[in-house]
Amino acid sequence: MTQDVEMKEQPAPSNSVPSSSPSTLHHLKEIASLIETGAYDREARRILRAIRLTMALRRKLKASVLSSFLSFALTPGSEAFTRLSSYLPKEDENEMEVDTATSAAQPPAKHSLPELEIYCYLLVLIFLIDQKKYDEAKACSSASISRLKNLNRRTLDVLAARLYFYYSLCYELTGTLSEIRSNLLALHRIATLRHDELGQETLLNLLLRNYLHYNLYDQAEKLRSKAPRFEAHSNQQFCRYLFYLGKIRTIQLEYTDAKECLLQAARKAPVAALGFRVQCNKWAIIVRLLLGEIPERTVFMQKGMEKALRPYFELTNAVRIGDLELFRSVAEKFSTTFSSDRTHNLIVRLRHNVIRTGLRNISISYSRIALADVAKKLRLDSVADAESIVAKAIRDGAIDATLDHSNGCMLSKETGDIYSTTEPQTAFNSRIAFCLNMHNEAVRALRFPPNSHKEKESAEKRRERQQQEQELAKHIAEEDDDEF
Amino acid sequence: MDPQLTEVSQMFERFKAAFIRKDFDSCANLLSQLKVLLTKFRSLPPLFENTPNAVNELLLAREIYEHAVVLSVKIEDQDAFERDFFQLKPYYTDAGSRLPPSQQEYLILGLNLLRLLVQNRIAEFHTELELLSDTALENPCIKHAVELEQSFMEGAYNRVLSARQNAPHETYVYFMDLLAKTVRDEIAGCSEKAYDYLSINDARQMLLFSSDQELLEYIKEEHPDWEVKNGSVYFQKAKDSAPCKEIPSLQLINQTLSYARELERIV
Repeated sequence: MTQDVEMKEQPAPSNSVPSSSPSTLHHLKEIASLIETGAYDREARRILRAIRLTMALRRKLKASVLSSFLSFALTPGSEAFTRLSSYLPKEDENEMEVDTATSAAQPPAKHSLPELEIYCYLLVLIFLIDQKKYDEAKACSSASISRLKNLNRRTLDVLAARLYFYYSLCYELTGTLSEIRSNLLALHRIATLRHDELGQETLLNLLLRNYLHYNLYDQAEKLRSKAPRFEAHSNQQFCRYLFYLGKIRTIQLEYTDAKECLLQAARKAPVAALGFRVQCNKWAIIVRLLLGEIPERTVFMQKGMEKALRPYFELTNAVRIGDLELFRSVAEKFSTTFSSDRTHNLIVRLRHNVIRTGLRNISISYSRIALADVAKKLRLDSVADAESIVAKAIRDGAIDATLDHSNGCMLSKETGDIYSTTEPQTAFNSRIAFCLNMHNEAVRALRFPPNSHKEKESAEKRRERQQQEQELAKHIAEEDDDEF
Repeated sequence: MDPQLTEVSQMFERFKAAFIRKDFDSCANLLSQLKVLLTKFRSLPPLFENTPNAVNELLLAREIYEHAVVLSVKIEDQDAFERDFFQLKPYYTDAGSRLPPSQQEYLILGLNLLRLLVQNRIAEFHTELELLSDTALENPCIKHAVELEQSFMEGAYNRVLSARQNAPHETYVYFMDLLAKTVRDEIAGCSEKAYDYLSINDARQMLLFSSDQELLEYIKEEHPDWEVKNGSVYFQKAKDSAPCKEIPSLQLINQTLSYARELERIV
């Protein structure tokens, strides 16, 4: 996935180097004016759009472009300007001069909006991360966060949420995530007090990620259950939240909830966010296995995932057959993959399901079988083990059978006619409920932007927008790839 | 040396002496005094101030809490165990990088896992398990608890019971005995569903009683619905749940009404 993005992007800089720099700058200036109008009209939607446009420009950013944009957007000599400029590497002396000359002509007085300043921080931060200058990025993000703490404007929320994300990202990339935990908690508190819901959402996710990074499931769950919840503002954040929640639930053995969360996260995630969806699928597969379900083959054959899901496919196969020996060999063969996915402990839990499936197969095939044979088929150590394992399986409802202790054998019961019970009716009811709920949610999700009747976009504009949206999707995919 | 630190370490010496004498009353007494004294150190959690004596103080406090945990096992107080363990935990997790690793760490973590297993808090058991590194999982104390949990979940109760003999440390025996009781209840529950009847002899062996008398008392107290006749225990009574032939009319009405309401909204 990332490969073909890069292939598309590579020719662009090579043949458009001379022209790209002014046009990028031009785009940035447009974005800046978009932010300005957004800030004056108090419309967060415009700022959101500005960020989206920025993401499209991300690959074209260069130090020279950035520094000239900084001198355009910020008052030269101001604190923010000097600080931000210090992070940028110096290059292309002559171009710098040209740019400063042009920007000097601009009236500097009106560009003192805090939104614009924060935007500059964001831009520099993204640039530094892309250039893999993580130490500078860390310094820059910390500076921006301390600046943000002093600003209280609702129009900033969107930008702030982005900054939080990159703040955490650069600490994660340098492996020092635990350092910022208390800072994130403080920011979450501030966001809650200011009713900044997007910020809360983002920060909660970052905190959960932070805890889960160190396997602190207990703390993560305590925070999650006590943090205020509301309707999700951003789909991406909601997906992440669902994924983290699914992980927590899995560890705490609430598999049904976990499955729901993980599958929903995988479905809601943008198509391009491949890395994220692979992760969701891996966890979902294990959870379904733990629930005693066998995921369909199509799950493993999804586009771009075959290779990543291969170990899980073989694992599923072992569980499906109920062969302990095969299960053990698969677990050993892919042990490095499983431990790097941090699913190793879950796979240990699966052993029990392998036995269950094997037992179920036996119970279906035989109406009466000696326990000694059961032990042999399941490769258990002793008949006594087999007896108690079968007894537990009966109690848990995994198989429908009775044991005869004196003869040492297991008697399977005839399966009754399911249509004589209320079972079909309840199944039907739950499906209807699901459909109706889906309809209601779809209605609720319809959104009408306030100015949609004014902006009648031409066909060309629409095409341009669609293209931008596609690029945006790609960037989201990369962001998610970065995370794993 | 800091006078406070000296005082605490002297008192701790007395505690250890009493501990070796198995004088648990005076141990508990000294321990509560020690805990009060520990609150005066500012280098300990939750403050973690970097005082000059920080490492010494942390080490001492960690050792005290380790002893406290073991003591709580000896006096068979599970609540105290939980409290002391949670006080000890930050020394392993948050201060772990500053201190040399403790000899007792895995022993105590394993004990805690076992406690969670005995109390049937499986979710917490797995949450704790996630925190352990691969090397920790190889440790015999931890491995013991992990294997126990597996056998327990599978239903291989024999393995759980035989594990008592190869407990890695004497303190584990207390929890293993508790676990045996839990296992008995589990077996009783499983047998009830799995067998139609069992001869008294088999039932006694299966439920690990040494005499028929004990078995009959157990049945009387825990499972009064079991029937004992002709030298066998019959579970049949508990299983009698004839399929309900009645039409669940109220439920059906409710469902149909809700469909109508929802459809109304759509059309």
